[in-house]
Amino acid sequence: MKTVLINCSPKKRFCASAYFLSLERLFVGGKKVSEKLRTPADHERILEQLRDAGAVVFCLPLYVDGVPSHVLRFLEKMEVFCLENELHLSVYCIANNGFIEGRQNEPLMRVFEHFCTRAGLSWGGGVGIGGGVMLNVTRIVFAVQIGLLLLNVALSAIQTGSFFPKEAWAGFGENALLLLYFNLGVLFYLAGMGGAIGKRSFFGKKYTRILIPSFFFILFADVFFVIASVLEGGIFRGWLARKEYEEPILSQQETQRTV
Amino acid sequence: MKVILHDLDRQYDRMIGSKCDHTLAADGKYAPCQGCFGCWTRHPAQCFMKDKLQQVCRVLGQADELVIVTKNLYGEYSAAVKNVLDRSIGTSTPFSTYRGRLMHHTLRYGTHDLWKVIVYGDITESEKATFRDLAARNAVNDGFTRSEVLFIRELGELEEVL
Repeated sequence: MKTVLINCSPKKRFCASAYFLSLERLFVGGKKVSEKLRTPADHERILEQLRDAGAVVFCLPLYVDGVPSHVLRFLEKMEVFCLENELHLSVYCIANNGFIEGRQNEPLMRVFEHFCTRAGLSWGGGVGIGGGVMLNVTRIVFAVQIGLLLLNVALSAIQTGSFFPKEAWAGFGENALLLLYFNLGVLFYLAGMGGAIGKRSFFGKKYTRILIPSFFFILFADVFFVIASVLEGGIFRGWLARKEYEEPILSQQETQRTV
Repeated sequence: MKVILHDLDRQYDRMIGSKCDHTLAADGKYAPCQGCFGCWTRHPAQCFMKDKLQQVCRVLGQADELVIVTKNLYGEYSAAVKNVLDRSIGTSTPFSTYRGRLMHHTLRYGTHDLWKVIVYGDITESEKATFRDLAARNAVNDGFTRSEVLFIRELGELEEVL
């Protein structure tokens, strides 16, 4: 059976959706095709992939408590396409949001369920993930840890001739286990959904999050945005101020149509 | 200030304009959000994309009462309306807080009064339930103290409920 995995993030790179989809891919058997949905130019190509597929997995970020607008446009087209071609795919969903609670993805899941009903498709369920951005950062931290380990091994080999500096390996092991722990909930549910996709069975709606206390999460998130705002300059441009509308003054009628 | 955001044809402009202080016409002639957070970290309350939604959060942020007129799409806003909302996260700041026992962002423009949604088009009972929940969550997320969702069968009923 062919499974189409669609990364629906509008970002070009380093997006959380790509990370979660790459994990899900590990747990799905059979033929797999990965697609990227960013613009209307992607629609026809993805729809053609659906013709002979048994299942499709949407992986997307939560926008304003719901489905991002560019994905809604695709779903409208996909509904028509599936009805016209009498396709009966199983639809699964991986939704992630920047807040800590995975259950904030609940309305998005229900929208996909309604979409399936209207398009004559089987709703397979999904995984709602809280702290998606921070979980995505863990993979970058892991890559840095590997780099540091290799550096330590190289230095040890030059200085002592040993490729197994104990402290470096132990430190790497500890950090790797910690990063794995943060991701445990996600791995557990994505593995479960991978099994359901293989059987085209109903998985249900499951919610999980990065496994750290909310207090630390909020602290880290705030520090992250302070650093990002310093680097990008927003902190010096009225960062938290009430901003007034500054567009050129138009006639009332023009304003009503233009804004 | 009362703001109406809608996805209707131009024939409704005059009627809608007479019912509010500011109209936002969701005609789809703008780009979707790119998820860059630049409206928080680079140019506060302003999008990097120079189309008509570049400063839309500054309009929505000033609304005491926001009325959204939208066609139903699977228990969600129409894509054109959702596009406007997606581009409006600059109404909040990047800092986090708790509202309604869930994590949200702090508000750039303070609290507001009413988040009202008027839904037209074919809709099931299940989609109605989703819409009510969605609107309630949106209201909390954007700092509105009340939310209300109305479902109309015909657009002829719109003027009465605006």
